[in-house]
Amino acid sequence: MAETKRKSRGEAKGKRGKPSKKQKKGTDTRERKGPRLPNALRKELERLNPVDEGFGSDEDQEEVYGRDLYEYEEELPEEESKKNRRYDPVENLEYQMPEEFEDENVSSDDDNDTRNAGEDGVEDEDEEDDDGRQRTTRITSEAFEGKTKKKKNNVVISEAYPESEYNPTRDMLEGEGPVSIGDLLDPLHGVSGYSKLRKRIHHLEKKSVPTPAPLPKADQEKLERKAAYEKSKEELQKWEPIIKRNREAPTIYFDDDMDLGFSTVGAIASEFEPRTEFEKKIASLVYDDQVMEAHQKDGSRLLELNKVSAEDEKDRHNRMAKMRSLLFRHEMKSKHVKKIKSKTYHRLLKKDRLKASSTQSQMDPEAAKELAMKQEYERAKERMTLRHKGSSKWTKRIKERGIDVQDEGTRTAIAEQQHLHALLTRKMNSMKDGSSSSSDDSSDEDDVDVYSAGSDQARASKLLEKAKEKTLNLLDEDDEVPNSGVLSLPFMVRGLKKRNEAAAEEAKLALQEYESWSNQLEDSNGADNAKVAPPSGRMVFNASKKEAPESSNKTKSDNKIRSDNYYGNSDSEDDFKPKENVDIREDRSSDLQNNGGINPVLLHKESKNHKDSLFKNFDDIVQDPGPKTTHEVSIFASGTWKKMKGGNNADANVNKPTRPLESVVLNQNLQEPVKELDEDSDADSEGQMVDGILTSDPKVESSYELPSQAEIIRQAFAADDVEDDFEKEKQEVLNEENPEPEKPVLLPGWGQWTHVQKKKGLPSWMLQEHESAKRMREETLKKRKDAHLKRVIISEKLDKKAEKLYTKSLPYPFTSKEVYEQSIRMPLGPEFNPATAVGALNRPEVMKKPGVIIKPIEFEEVNPYERIEEQTQSGKKQKKRNKSKSNSGKNGTKVKTKLKN
Amino acid sequence: MGVKQDDGSIMPTSEQEKISDELDIRVKKFLRGEKTNLEGLQDKKLKGQLAVREELFGKSAQAAAKAEKWLLPSEGGYLEAEGIEKTWRIKQESIAREVDILSARSQYDIVLPDLGPYTLDFTSSGRYMAAGGRKGHLAILDMKNMSLVKEIQVRETVRDVVFLHNELFFAAAQKKYPYIYNRDGTELHCLKEHGAVLRLQFLKNHFLLASINKSGQLRYQDVTMGGMVANYRTGLGRTDVMQVNPYNGVVALGHSLGTVSMWKPTSSTALLKRLCHKGPITAMAFHPNGHLMATAGKEKKIMLWDLRNLKDEPLQTLPGNADTLDFSQKGLLARSTSSFVQILRDSSGTQNYNNYMTHKIIKGYQVEKVLFRPYEDVLGIGHSMGWSSILIPGSGEPNFDSWVANPFETSKQRREREVHSLLDKLPPETIMLNPTKIGTVKPQRRKEKKTKEENEADMEAAVEAVKGIEPKKKTKGRNKPSKRTKKKQEIVANAKRPFLEEQKKEEEQVARKKQKVIEQVELPTSLQRFSRKKSAT
Repeated sequence: MAETKRKSRGEAKGKRGKPSKKQKKGTDTRERKGPRLPNALRKELERLNPVDEGFGSDEDQEEVYGRDLYEYEEELPEEESKKNRRYDPVENLEYQMPEEFEDENVSSDDDNDTRNAGEDGVEDEDEEDDDGRQRTTRITSEAFEGKTKKKKNNVVISEAYPESEYNPTRDMLEGEGPVSIGDLLDPLHGVSGYSKLRKRIHHLEKKSVPTPAPLPKADQEKLERKAAYEKSKEELQKWEPIIKRNREAPTIYFDDDMDLGFSTVGAIASEFEPRTEFEKKIASLVYDDQVMEAHQKDGSRLLELNKVSAEDEKDRHNRMAKMRSLLFRHEMKSKHVKKIKSKTYHRLLKKDRLKASSTQSQMDPEAAKELAMKQEYERAKERMTLRHKGSSKWTKRIKERGIDVQDEGTRTAIAEQQHLHALLTRKMNSMKDGSSSSSDDSSDEDDVDVYSAGSDQARASKLLEKAKEKTLNLLDEDDEVPNSGVLSLPFMVRGLKKRNEAAAEEAKLALQEYESWSNQLEDSNGADNAKVAPPSGRMVFNASKKEAPESSNKTKSDNKIRSDNYYGNSDSEDDFKPKENVDIREDRSSDLQNNGGINPVLLHKESKNHKDSLFKNFDDIVQDPGPKTTHEVSIFASGTWKKMKGGNNADANVNKPTRPLESVVLNQNLQEPVKELDEDSDADSEGQMVDGILTSDPKVESSYELPSQAEIIRQAFAADDVEDDFEKEKQEVLNEENPEPEKPVLLPGWGQWTHVQKKKGLPSWMLQEHESAKRMREETLKKRKDAHLKRVIISEKLDKKAEKLYTKSLPYPFTSKEVYEQSIRMPLGPEFNPATAVGALNRPEVMKKPGVIIKPIEFEEVNPYERIEEQTQSGKKQKKRNKSKSNSGKNGTKVKTKLKN
Repeated sequence: MGVKQDDGSIMPTSEQEKISDELDIRVKKFLRGEKTNLEGLQDKKLKGQLAVREELFGKSAQAAAKAEKWLLPSEGGYLEAEGIEKTWRIKQESIAREVDILSARSQYDIVLPDLGPYTLDFTSSGRYMAAGGRKGHLAILDMKNMSLVKEIQVRETVRDVVFLHNELFFAAAQKKYPYIYNRDGTELHCLKEHGAVLRLQFLKNHFLLASINKSGQLRYQDVTMGGMVANYRTGLGRTDVMQVNPYNGVVALGHSLGTVSMWKPTSSTALLKRLCHKGPITAMAFHPNGHLMATAGKEKKIMLWDLRNLKDEPLQTLPGNADTLDFSQKGLLARSTSSFVQILRDSSGTQNYNNYMTHKIIKGYQVEKVLFRPYEDVLGIGHSMGWSSILIPGSGEPNFDSWVANPFETSKQRREREVHSLLDKLPPETIMLNPTKIGTVKPQRRKEKKTKEENEADMEAAVEAVKGIEPKKKTKGRNKPSKRTKKKQEIVANAKRPFLEEQKKEEEQVARKKQKVIEQVELPTSLQRFSRKKSAT
């Protein structure tokens, strides 16, 4: 509806627009039209929006009109409806106007405009305004004409009123007022065809019913929206079956289109097309024919140039192969060497390496110097950092704890560190001199030896001796004073002498020092020889360690014996025994380790151990006369056990005074004899078995077959009690789970007057409470599962741990418990279902393979009434179809977009 | 429509119907209960989902039924008598003449006269057997090739042997403690806590070793982690009758007062106690489907009990003694006294057991234990002179499921299965009388508190009741209208008071709870945005 309306309006506009344009170029305001309003309304409007003298404001007003009030269709062309002065009446009267004529008219109109340009704008506007009104009103032209005539008649110019129809403007009064069709027709009176024309006009006038006022905008919009909604609803409704199908499908498949597009870089690169200027330029250059050609040619020429002789190539190849094999062999070798775990091997290797380096340093002064430098650096570093002095956190802690307490590894590590420190910080005699004199070298070698072999006293003494010799040599050496040169100058000679003397003294001092050192060394050596183990902790411990294995061996053997004993005794002894044994074992070993020290406590322990063992031995002896310990012991054990058991039985009998329990005992006794005897016989037979006479005695077994008469009688009568007992037990259980309410007790003197108390007894509320509690209990008892079962007690205790296996409430979509419970009755796992069904049972809601792009839904015709089953099939079909489509289509080149609409 | 057979003839409709009926029965079995009733459902979506589900279930059941009907390699059967023949008259010798060599091989007697009555246990696949002689003889046998795997002498009384989850481990109840050995006879554990155990049972789905000791203490030990799961005093005296219900893992004990008590590891009281016999209970057995229990009492009665539908009366009472009872996989019941073994069968399918077969071993042999071998038609009998094995046609499940138990298992498969079974190990709390209830809605506890509306309704009723009472006519001075109105109001207030007090108390409780909640939630402001917002209650 709205559409058609709009269309018609558009047409009208088109109709209207053309001629107006032709007539008046540049005056668009003319196109605004409005209805002819009733007088009162107009006045009111004018009062509300007083007309300004400004041009723009007027226009605004016009616009307001146009916007708010009119919406209107014009049926007559302007020329016909408008009897404006500007239109040439004669020309207008012409029924069919020739083309050229109209052109003339346009030009004349222009003239008119130019003529009017001199007048004030307001008037012009007003005139146009009036024109518009006339054009747009539905009021018949006659009426309009009449009015104008009236206006013509009373030629009163009054400016007091605002301009309006009743207050026409000047030009209107001058005769430029609106002209009706009648006016135009009048001169044609009598001309042939006039009557026809008049009839037509009359007809037209009759026909033209006033169109109803357009609907308010809000309503119109509402209607439009409604229509639009209907349309869009229709549009959407066609998707409904598809959506429904997807919604109802247990599984939606998205893995139908498996074409993943580009698979290789090459494929992507081949698709590349230059787009930007730059790319195009590059492409043109790269794919330039000339360039290509040149490249090809050049390449071939280059290849020609590249020619190498076969021999050269062979040679090179051989060389490379050799190198490679050598490298490989070396690698293998080093790998092999690295894998060797032997310490001695590595030590030897290290030694070799050192030797090699030392020889190198001997041979090569540069290397020696480097080595010296390195050592010097190391030394300096040590002096600066004092890294090995024992100031680190770790060593401090170890010292704090005491070195003796540490294990061997730590101790050696600490010792190593100290040694290293000593080595590095010791003032070196020869290292300072970087020269490569032989003596220095030797000392170097010594040093190296010292490094490698650690502190060896013999070496040290040797070193001292060497030093001594050297100093003596120095002392012995005559000072050869050069006779010539600068050094021969007297003051130089004096200086030299002085220096030599100082040096000699120093050498003497050094000698003394050396001697004292060597003495010390010798002393210490002697001491070492004398004392096997000086009293410093480490050494002692090591010594004891060496001894320890033996002792531990001893203890082990002891323990073995002991453990044997232990196992033998195990049957008769209690649990605490083995622990004790272990204790003893430990004590012993510790004793043996402390081989030297005589500790009274330990001694005591030892003696205790001995005592223990003695006791045990004694026990053993007492228990078994023969040498076979274990087996006899087991017999003994079984004996004690028997005794114990007897005692226990007696106890049990004493402890069960009540009748039912007594019957239990009796029954047990009745039931048991066979077994009991059996077990007794076990013990016996065990003894036999151990002795190696493995014989069974079926006689004994058969003898339990017949119980005595008394027992049979008891058995017969036992049954009578059983039910009562059970009933009692049930009652007990019930009482326990739902305790009986306490009987109301009245404390005399409380709550009531004494005389009332006596008369009335318990107060009613108490009784009531009691009653209600009783009732409650009975009700709950009735509700029990075993309420109707005399011989069954079902525990109503709630298992708190099992509570987590239940759901607290029904899961969401379910509303009834039964339906839910039935829905979970079937197991879903592969163990419980055939392989054909497992997949369907456990399929997820959405099937999708990673990397697959999910495309938006495409429209397809779906029969909304077909069942889900078929739909799934159709879905599969569709899948296949899609596959084929994708295969047939462009092979994965199209760009996939997620948002289609 | 008929189905074409090989010879081209079309199967008669009657046969078809028969087959379809049979299939229907099987389908019903595999459907595991009633179809969901979708009639009353209002939620369309749920209805649709459930309908799809049901259809899938139906298909699955159909497929399973068909596979069971047509694809299983072997079929079970029973001895069938012709004419005046009676099945229980058929001797083992005559059976041996008829059967194939392989089956005939499983008829034998092992005579070990010295080491006392033997107790037996089979692995779940029936491949291995453990035999325990009372006088300390333990042996593991491979029953497929009749070879001895390992034999040890523990030099102690052995009361019971039981395999753990596979043949690699077994437990033996010895004189003072139960021990766990491996297949090589190495002692792995000594379970001292258990004490002198009389009977051992292994719950293979839960990996629990249950034991009852001389002082009547029931213990459950987890054999995977080694923890003692439960330790309960039964308080019903010493017993050596203990059996696990294979269906739900509930341990049943038979007591001297004729009661059977059923236990689970998470409850210190018996789940169920039932007075079964008038005399002491001597033996007990459970049907593999867990719905049937057989007990034997000293008063020469054997009773069959329905465990799903508890009643005071047994399903069936059979005369006779039994020192040991056992159900086979197919539901045959073996009972034995002294040297006589009887097999009973539910021939009609109505749980009415009749005599099926009998067997007598040499007089003087005391039968200690009868035990059907799984997946074989074999009954093992442990007695005082060793053990014997006889053929009982129709006792074992003819088709084994290698997912469940595979008699031809390789060591690799065994390892695999061990891992799987460990992964599938059930926690002890899943043991309950009706395990199908797991996952359902928690049973409602007794309602203790009234709802607010109920409370108000009660109050109103009380007020109405009070208002109806006509006030007493008092003496002149006391019967003023003002006093009467006052009295009326008082009565009403009194009637209301208890309810109001109750309400107040409840509100206080709620307030306290709220306070607690508020106290609990005290996160630093920076973290508060991560805490889940609770709807204000």
